[in-house]
Amino acid sequence: MLTKLSLAGIKNRFKDYLVLLTGLIISAAVFYMFANLATNREFVKSNTQISMASQVFIFGMILLILITIVYIAYANSFLLSMRQHDYGLFMMLGAKKNRIGELVFIETLLIGVISTIVGIVLGIGMSMGLSQILFNQLGLTVHHFNALYWPAIVTTICLYVGLFLLSGIFNLAKLVRTPVLKLLHIDDEVYLSKRRPLVQLTEIVAGILLLAIGYVAMAKIMTLQLLAVPLALVTITLGSYLLFSAVIVGAVELLKQTNFANKKLHNFTLAQIMFRVRSYTRILTIVSLLFALALGAISVGAGFQRQAPQMAKSTSAYTMAINDMDKKEHNLVSQLNDTHTLTYSQKIVDNTVYYNEQEFVDHPLPMLDSRQALNDGSLKTLPISQFKKVALDDMDFTGLVPKNGQQKSEFATQSNFENLNRATTHTVTIIRLNNILAQRKILDRLEKLQQQRFPAPTMATVGGFQTYKMFNALFSGLEFMGFFLGFAFLAMLASCLMFKILSGANKDIVRYNMLNRIGTRRALMKQAVRGEILTLFALPGILGIVDVLFGLQMFKPLMYHPYAMTGWSILIFCVLYGVYYGITTLIYERLVIPKEQMNA
Amino acid sequence: MQKTPVVSVSGLHKIYGRKNERQYEALKGIDFTIDEGEFVGIMGASGSGKTTLLNLLSTLDTPTSGSVEVNGQDITGFKGKALSDFRSEEIGFIFQDFNLLESLTAKENIALPLSLQGVKKAEISKAVKEVATTLSIENLLSKYPTELSGGQKQRVAAARAIVHRPAIIMGDEPTGALDSKSARDLLDLMTDINKNQHVSVLLVTHDPFSASFCDRILFIQDGQIGQELKKADNNRQTFYQEILNQLGTFEQ
Repeated sequence: MLTKLSLAGIKNRFKDYLVLLTGLIISAAVFYMFANLATNREFVKSNTQISMASQVFIFGMILLILITIVYIAYANSFLLSMRQHDYGLFMMLGAKKNRIGELVFIETLLIGVISTIVGIVLGIGMSMGLSQILFNQLGLTVHHFNALYWPAIVTTICLYVGLFLLSGIFNLAKLVRTPVLKLLHIDDEVYLSKRRPLVQLTEIVAGILLLAIGYVAMAKIMTLQLLAVPLALVTITLGSYLLFSAVIVGAVELLKQTNFANKKLHNFTLAQIMFRVRSYTRILTIVSLLFALALGAISVGAGFQRQAPQMAKSTSAYTMAINDMDKKEHNLVSQLNDTHTLTYSQKIVDNTVYYNEQEFVDHPLPMLDSRQALNDGSLKTLPISQFKKVALDDMDFTGLVPKNGQQKSEFATQSNFENLNRATTHTVTIIRLNNILAQRKILDRLEKLQQQRFPAPTMATVGGFQTYKMFNALFSGLEFMGFFLGFAFLAMLASCLMFKILSGANKDIVRYNMLNRIGTRRALMKQAVRGEILTLFALPGILGIVDVLFGLQMFKPLMYHPYAMTGWSILIFCVLYGVYYGITTLIYERLVIPKEQMNA
Repeated sequence: MQKTPVVSVSGLHKIYGRKNERQYEALKGIDFTIDEGEFVGIMGASGSGKTTLLNLLSTLDTPTSGSVEVNGQDITGFKGKALSDFRSEEIGFIFQDFNLLESLTAKENIALPLSLQGVKKAEISKAVKEVATTLSIENLLSKYPTELSGGQKQRVAAARAIVHRPAIIMGDEPTGALDSKSARDLLDLMTDINKNQHVSVLLVTHDPFSASFCDRILFIQDGQIGQELKKADNNRQTFYQEILNQLGTFEQ
């Protein structure tokens, strides 16, 4: 009977349970996605050349576990607040405490198990989808990655079911210990601890100092080595927490003095923010950290992604050299956009390849300005006399020979070249294009055709495309992890925030109902909801972006331009984050804003 | 002098439930008017239709048929913005459970109706100060509702109800959650507002003591107005006795 009653209770509050379950499912899915990478040692090993990678993953894992614990604690208190009134009522009607305890325990565990299982299934789907998108869009090659990976499933189940077991025991203890009357009248009192300005000032100073320490630690990663990561994590977390709790309250108090506060519902919104920020400080801190991690991961991933084509440009003056271009190859080349092609004749006598000097006078072969890694691919052309001197030592030039053995290159005047006897004649065509990444598929096919006709025994790389492929293989794992983790963190943080905001809706229903009664236009109420949620979304977002801008300093030793893709990744990120904001606002408006009239 | 009615209700019906379902008629044809400056009480037992009537008068619900005019406007056809604007300009509410926003100070709560109408800051401050002086709650203005007693909260709510000079104040069991001393204070206060600020008051209650503060009482029973009592020149004690007698006749 009691079981039936408690099931009926769930049915009545299905909407709330839906919010709860969705949040937990997404959390489990994200955790699975992360565990999928972190527990896959072969994947980590084979895809990064950096020894730090596996340690970074361990840090990430610990962080994610901590976040999950906080998240489940939130979810559990939400669950308990939904149910305690019902259970109090059952007890008042004479149900035994032990039986109630049993029910609570089973319910908590059941919710945990359901959300974990659905979450893992979703996580597998998301891993599959995301990896497909990344492989196709970015041309990544990744080894040992499986969307369905058993150790990850086991890890996720262990963590989640374990945590829900703990929550169940906690709930049981709490319900059994709380007096019945209290259960029936649990109404969170609004707590108002007025803070002294001195304390607030201290908080601000300490917060900024801690953040600064964290930022400096990341910039000095070369001297601090691996110590920089945990140091930055701790100081930035504490600093963000203090800043949130002090600055926002101060700012709202200031705003309240202005004329702005007295218009429309602004005062109400400000008050809501003030109250929220106090109870939300913890979650805002976590979200800002996750935001930074996610954005950082995507920025770094995108940075490496950009690095490969750039490295390709800086190592060779041309993208690819094609010997004796045939019809098929010609067709492919004509499909390429934005290309420069140059064709030179070759005559091979014994082991020497001769070039017609005149052709290089007419169409000089461009050379790299410098072979430094930071060169963005800028080229120069030399007068023929100078060119002849340097060309024979230049890889770009010596690499033009048909690849079937050790050959040396020589220049010949036009008449000498024409008079060469007993020679086989060949041509070589070089193509240079600006956007390797976009046309890599055609280049791949061209390369295959060349290799079939001119099988080369592991040649030194010639042409930018070779370099591109080499670095692409090298960086793919990093890029993949960056993007994968970035999106996973984003999903986690946004659902964390969304969940926390939505779980506060119950109290707001009363407030908005009252506003409606005293004649507040719906449009104004909607504005209030949007403004309030926007603040809760924007605050950690802004701090997260600042964190990233400083945090990318860590990657200076690894990348040329860690900031190259930051603008874009911030933009993409903000769009996705914005979508979450939109969804949250819509759901919230539906939940709290009443209709003007009862039956309208 | 012929007084113009602030509220005039005629042929008001309210039926709950859809057609071809079981229907329940909460109001079965109600007619009455409230003149400007009058203090009218509506009494009735639980389930008599009091709350339904109040909801219709305050546009929170729509009647099945009949009309309600407030300040000369027929309010039954209002929609959307017009509804909200009507509520925020013409009506002052006092509820049993205060309905103050606990995240705002008393001052901000009182200022809310004016902020909604876009009144300037200086004017808001002036109006709030004025009303606070009238209700002697100046020293409470900077406090939050959780720091106030029930009686104090209801005073703040009353201040919010009159700060924007509505056409009528509607009280829904405003003394229901108060101890007897605070209840009496509040009723004195409402009488004072009614007499000195010339604001019409409509008080919905089932408590004879509260009702004895009114000029006129409408007894509502099973969705109809059964009886009407006028205080006329009686003092409050006599009127109270009269109300008790009237209620006594209902019992039999």
